[in-house]
Amino acid sequence: MNNDIPVQTLGGQGEVMAHAVDACVHCGFCLPACPTYALLGDEMDSPRGRIVLMKEVLEGGLPLLDAAPHLDRCLGCQACVTACPSGVPYGELITAFRGWSEPQRQRSPLDRAKRAAILKILPAPKVFSVAARLGQFAKPLAPALPAALRSPLDLLPESVPAMQPSAAFTPARGVRRGRVAFLVGCAQQALTPNFNAATLRVLSRNGIEVVIPDGQGCCGAAALHTGARDEALKLVRANLNAFNPDDFDAILSNAAGCGAGLKEYPMVLHGEPDEARAQAFAAKVMDISEYLGGLLADGTLEPTLPASRPLKVAYHDACHLAHAQGVRAQPRDLLRAIPGVTVLEIPEGDLCCGSAGTYNLEQPELATQLGARKAKNILSTQPDLIASGNIGCHTQIQSHVRRQGDRAPVMHTIEILDLAYRGEL
Amino acid sequence: MSTEKLALTTNSGARKPASAGGAHNSLAAELTRLLGPRKVLSNLSERLNYRYDAIQFGATPLAVVLPESTGDVVAAVRAARAAGVPIVGRGAASGLSGGAAPTEPGLVISFTRMTRLTIHPERREAQAQAGVITLAVSDAARPHGLIYPPDPASFRTSTIGGNLAENAGGPMCFKYGVTGDYVRALSFVDADGEEHHVTRDAFDLAGLLIGSEGTLGLITEATLRLIPPATHTRTLMAHFPEVGACAEAVSAAIAAGAVPSKLEFMDRACTNAVEDYLNLGLPRDAEAVLLVDTDGDDLNTVQDELQLVADACERAGGTVRRAATDAEGAALWRARRSVSPALGRIRPQRMNEDIVVPRSALPDVVREIRALGDASPFRLVQFGHIGDGNLHPNILFDPRREDTHAVHDLAHQIALVAIRHGGVLSGEHGIGSMKRDFMTDAVDPGTLKALWNVKRALDPHLALNPGKILPAEGVNG
Repeated sequence: MNNDIPVQTLGGQGEVMAHAVDACVHCGFCLPACPTYALLGDEMDSPRGRIVLMKEVLEGGLPLLDAAPHLDRCLGCQACVTACPSGVPYGELITAFRGWSEPQRQRSPLDRAKRAAILKILPAPKVFSVAARLGQFAKPLAPALPAALRSPLDLLPESVPAMQPSAAFTPARGVRRGRVAFLVGCAQQALTPNFNAATLRVLSRNGIEVVIPDGQGCCGAAALHTGARDEALKLVRANLNAFNPDDFDAILSNAAGCGAGLKEYPMVLHGEPDEARAQAFAAKVMDISEYLGGLLADGTLEPTLPASRPLKVAYHDACHLAHAQGVRAQPRDLLRAIPGVTVLEIPEGDLCCGSAGTYNLEQPELATQLGARKAKNILSTQPDLIASGNIGCHTQIQSHVRRQGDRAPVMHTIEILDLAYRGEL
Repeated sequence: MSTEKLALTTNSGARKPASAGGAHNSLAAELTRLLGPRKVLSNLSERLNYRYDAIQFGATPLAVVLPESTGDVVAAVRAARAAGVPIVGRGAASGLSGGAAPTEPGLVISFTRMTRLTIHPERREAQAQAGVITLAVSDAARPHGLIYPPDPASFRTSTIGGNLAENAGGPMCFKYGVTGDYVRALSFVDADGEEHHVTRDAFDLAGLLIGSEGTLGLITEATLRLIPPATHTRTLMAHFPEVGACAEAVSAAIAAGAVPSKLEFMDRACTNAVEDYLNLGLPRDAEAVLLVDTDGDDLNTVQDELQLVADACERAGGTVRRAATDAEGAALWRARRSVSPALGRIRPQRMNEDIVVPRSALPDVVREIRALGDASPFRLVQFGHIGDGNLHPNILFDPRREDTHAVHDLAHQIALVAIRHGGVLSGEHGIGSMKRDFMTDAVDPGTLKALWNVKRALDPHLALNPGKILPAEGVNG
């Protein structure tokens, strides 16, 4: 798309944005892939429309305030990236745009406080854990609360377990075949500590030793995707200092959103002195399913025990795994490798569940519609188990599946593998 | 994806901003009074998004209406007529001739929320409102053992209304015919806001509206013919060291009696652009790739026809590969459908053509166009529905660094190649604004006058999609 984005004055992030707009030929192939276009049916709430709006704002032809409602409704799911034949890096565009525009936004004091609280609480597992437990007590009050407060409560799982810090080093069982670093994540340490515990057990069983480098923190995706670029940069630099890519075969994450965030580091630092370091780091980042899928493909993955009965597993593609990282086959292959497991495909599988990082808290109405639609699609397959590879999807799907009266367990792919190794599936 | 729209306040989660520089014009106010705020867009941020199609940016409309019924369309047309502003219909704006890009500020009527679709299997018909997504018709018909064959590359995005307005084609059309061959009846709203229901008899007014690009009326609904799909389909890919050889193979295969259901060609640049997108292992070094489907209810016949095509390709110097599975065939067709947008990887802008030439002239035509491209400073690529002689030469350019007048001149030369060989300017994309200037080369003055008479009869105030198809009167070739 022809544009006059003033790259010279916008610096590295301007180059990222202009490159994306350049590549768009406004063909419209992204429209049917976009969840908000599916719900609203107007051009401003489609990827193509948003690219035009961002271009207009960057060129100075449209006030940011006018474009904001439509840009704020974007989930950042990147389904449009999968659908785009021209190779438009839409995810980079919306992320860079949010970072550029947020300082110019005039938000209400309440809105500011809410956003600040999210960004303070989310990356601090201990604080998050306390907040989540308080939330448990508040859950019965939910119907009486305003929507802004109700939505986070609705998403809390049925029970919030105690924090289980992970060991800094987990040795390989048997012959050591590899050495990886692991990013432990934030919210999931507080909400679903078993994700990490299962990850360490499965890696160790496969002869992989796991290091959890000290000094690591939040991946920065939540800050980055809500436009808090300065906070994001602090977190990005801390992780670049904590992880030395030369020391490890891979740097693993078991949260699709975090893994996608880690892989975005070169884009975040485009044109800055740390860009080369970020590239070396990102080249080593893999999702846990990507890494284990590689072992499976090589024939070096330890076989699991069979499931105790035939199990139908509905696998949900987290957007940040499928669309952002292109990881679709590996989780399915890993599940199928468990004797007795059949993997079910979910109708409208490419459509976001509506969790989308902090979207649930920012746009509860749209998030709820997408969550209900996702749960309905999942339950139409009549699964025994529901698998996903992302904490956000996990809580959203669990909450909406329960609302629709179904008790099927919702698990992380790695938890299912872990149970299979232990003969408890 | 379901095309069902949820009744949602589009203001959820964020108040509509008081529009800075918005259209507080009387038209938007009147439309809002008539239709309510949910169906009328008047903020600049909203209107800016209704000024383009998939090839061109036009004038920003004064107001946009998103009708949910034919009654809404009637009300909107009458209000626009009273205000004396032009009216442009719009589907998904995936068109490639500038058809939905307004040439002057006015009213845009966007049909994306008119998505009612009913299948009548006993009559083998679908009743579809204008905003129904093309692919949704086949998806809804398939459980009844029926399909809707017209399959433009954009069929996941494009709408039935837009398909009818442009008389869209697609790979299936070589054997099965184009959109117009599947329309039994349609409803349209005329320039005065009157609703009409027309069939294929008594003047075949439906046929006149099909392909009229929104210049004679606004199509609101259509009755579409459905057919049972073929039982068997087989796919092959052949690649050639030279583009003309590919065209020769096509002519020879058809002359030998093969009637493939799809016969598609893409040149080396196109193949590389889609390979960058999909990584299918397409032959990057081939100058031309041919994709062919044969289909039918008798597997032997289907395989014999594919063999005829394979033999013709090999005799012309091609290398043939058959798709081993349905999934492999589907992946190849996904690649073909992605060609046009994938060209954005090469240059940010395109001038696309849609010529149709007699099949016997194909080898000469593709070679002449290739030579024109090689002699020009631009990247010129070719692909298209070579089975029925419908080619899409595309000039790829960067308007910031390259001379757009020279692009236009090259496009004109390509159009003249088609006309010289007894061809026409548009197979399926429409004339729109992109090829309007070439109409005087393609159509004699007397015939142009007849076209103008038709236009005036149905749109006396020249309010419907002005500046499209017909060159201004008095402009002679």
